[in-house]
Amino acid sequence: MLEIKNLYASVDGKEILKGINLTVNAGEVHAIMGPNGAGKSTLSNVLAGRDGYEITQGEVIFKDEDLLDLEAEERARRGIFLAFQYPVEIPGVSNIYLLKAALNAVREHQGLDELDAMDFLALVREKMQLVHMNEEFLYRGVNEGFSGGEKKRNEILQMALLEPALAILDETDSGLDIDALRTVSEGVNALRSQERSIVMITHYQRLLDYIQPDFVHVLSDGRIVKSGDKELAKELEDKGYSWVKEHVEGSAA
Amino acid sequence: MKQLTELTTSFTSVADSIDLPGQDLSWIQEIRQQALAQFNQSGFPSKKVEDWKYTSLWELTQLQFSHLVEPVEVSEQHCEQLALLEDAYRVVIVDGVFSADLSKLTSLQEGLTVGPFSQSLERIQQQLGKQVSIEKEGLTALNTLLMKEGVMVHIAEDKIIDKPIELLVINTGGTDNLATHLRNMIVLDDNAEATVIEHYVGLTDTSCLTNVVSEVILAEKAELFHYKLQQESDNAFHIATLAAKQATGSQWHTNNINLGAKLARNDIHSQLFGEQSHTTMDGLYILDNEQHIDNHTRIDHFVPNTTSNELYKGVLNGSSHAVFNGKVMVHKDAQKTDSNQYNHNLLLSRNCEIDTKPEMEIYADDVKCGHGSTVGQIDMDQLFFLRARGLDEVTARSLLTHAFAVEVLERIPSEHIRKALSNVIEQRLPRGKK
Ligand SMILES: Nc1ncnc2c1ncn2[C@@H]1O[C@H](COP(=O)(O)OP(=O)(O)OP(=O)(O)O)[C@@H](O)[C@H]1O
Ligand SMILES: [Mg+2]
Repeated sequence: MLEIKNLYASVDGKEILKGINLTVNAGEVHAIMGPNGAGKSTLSNVLAGRDGYEITQGEVIFKDEDLLDLEAEERARRGIFLAFQYPVEIPGVSNIYLLKAALNAVREHQGLDELDAMDFLALVREKMQLVHMNEEFLYRGVNEGFSGGEKKRNEILQMALLEPALAILDETDSGLDIDALRTVSEGVNALRSQERSIVMITHYQRLLDYIQPDFVHVLSDGRIVKSGDKELAKELEDKGYSWVKEHVEGSAA
Repeated sequence: MKQLTELTTSFTSVADSIDLPGQDLSWIQEIRQQALAQFNQSGFPSKKVEDWKYTSLWELTQLQFSHLVEPVEVSEQHCEQLALLEDAYRVVIVDGVFSADLSKLTSLQEGLTVGPFSQSLERIQQQLGKQVSIEKEGLTALNTLLMKEGVMVHIAEDKIIDKPIELLVINTGGTDNLATHLRNMIVLDDNAEATVIEHYVGLTDTSCLTNVVSEVILAEKAELFHYKLQQESDNAFHIATLAAKQATGSQWHTNNINLGAKLARNDIHSQLFGEQSHTTMDGLYILDNEQHIDNHTRIDHFVPNTTSNELYKGVLNGSSHAVFNGKVMVHKDAQKTDSNQYNHNLLLSRNCEIDTKPEMEIYADDVKCGHGSTVGQIDMDQLFFLRARGLDEVTARSLLTHAFAVEVLERIPSEHIRKALSNVIEQRLPRGKK
């Protein structure tokens, strides 16, 4: 599904990703943890195709294609979905308009016809139930005046509707209350399948109780410094990141 | 030199040679005489006049305007396409001439009088020219000298007119440099309510001049929804003066949408003479290429307890130039005035230019006033978000531009009119160039 090889990226001459290697196969769930400023959001932005990053080395292969050659929208249509750490507000563009435009963009790429208005609404309603969102949110501006938790649910709603091949969730659990965390996790779990992969960035081991990852990685200072299974997350919770850093430095010596 | 008086066109001899309405009415002859004297003195304003600092009329002085034409025929079907609203009373003016055939003035609701200016002079004798000043504006003097057609609307006391009234002014471009001088009079008696749309359309890119003066009188508790849609041709000069006097409890809701013309100038003036009266002044301009627009608005709060809201937004592309000058005057008796005024601009290219100046002059001490202006570009976070959801860049940019623009429609209560205007705006938006 996704293969990141020795990826280096910098912004304004500042190197942020310093040789990332990561392989995500179809059906797998990977968790990425790591201290603030390690480069986790940078990695998700680079994967989603945001302008402004200079890729100085390495490559990313997604479903046998060179991902870095594609524009953001082309990646989205091929099934890459980024749930943003800070979803942006877009007053004047209604949520329902966005959902429709996004779904049609993907369907067109897949050679499918646009859904008619009735079928579309039925589908959206079904997905809204999944994330316990009130229909009123459809007619508001995208994330306009939404609370932090509502914005995150809205991201999951978009994901549920678009059914991406690879979902990258950037701290979707941050700022959620316990019920919302459960709802969002259910939304993600409902999407889990043999054809789909999920990369979730989180600071909290708690999320991993709800969404059981196959692998856990620690990203620190632009590199994946440690990988393991979900036991690694528990260990991190106990010992903190300094433990990983010492561990890495120790092994390097 | 504060005036441009050396004009290629001799408007004085035009006045002598064409058939203007009211030649048998001495009072109107007198008004025209005064206007003539005034215009000969003042000509067009030059850029030395503070209010015209950024807008040059020099090119106008160089043109030889024609005034006498046979209007080009416009089919009923074409007219239907051009109109903003299908279900409305309609007064249609083609190349400056009223078209009874294209107008829709049958089965008028009781209490509504509407018709062409040229056939309504007796009715408006008392009010004509009282809302504007020929001394201050050469262009208004010129308009008064040559006013020939327009719309007259009168709503009787307590009448609420359900159907909007659309004034559709079509410039076919059949004649080069055609000048039309239009005068509109809109009078609402006590408690009357109506919706009026002034709609100016150009069909070809022939050069022309539309010089229009609209006067509005709102009696006690009258409420007027007053929209303007300017879609003149790319080589048109559009000069408009719009002025209202408002009595106690009256409300004037304006929305001034300008999409066309090579050079457009709007002078809009509301005069709040009665307590509890309110003005909304909203507007939008979407410019591309070499287009130039200058919106000058002024709201006078003369008495206590009046309110005004103003929101002007602009989308500029190409090497267009926009000027916004909004003045709110809170006079010394106008305690408890509540007023806000904003101008926001979205620049889509490096070569466009905006001069914005929201102003408030406050002589009362117990008031609530706010104003400001912004100039910005497409938000990169929003753009990336939309692209990350699969929308191509061009679509995403025009969606964001549209979202920015249509905010000015939010205060229009009629969903029908809001949608119609939103569609027109969408078609005019630059297709998201980088
Ligand atoms: N446009 C930019 N210009 C300069 N520095 C940047 C830019 N974008 C990111 N950085 C820096 O890159 C580093 C990594 O940022 P990133 O947002 O990827 O961290 P993160 O791992 O997601 O952190 P957090 O856990 O706090 O979300 C930070 O030090 C950040 O300040
Ligand atoms: Mg981050």
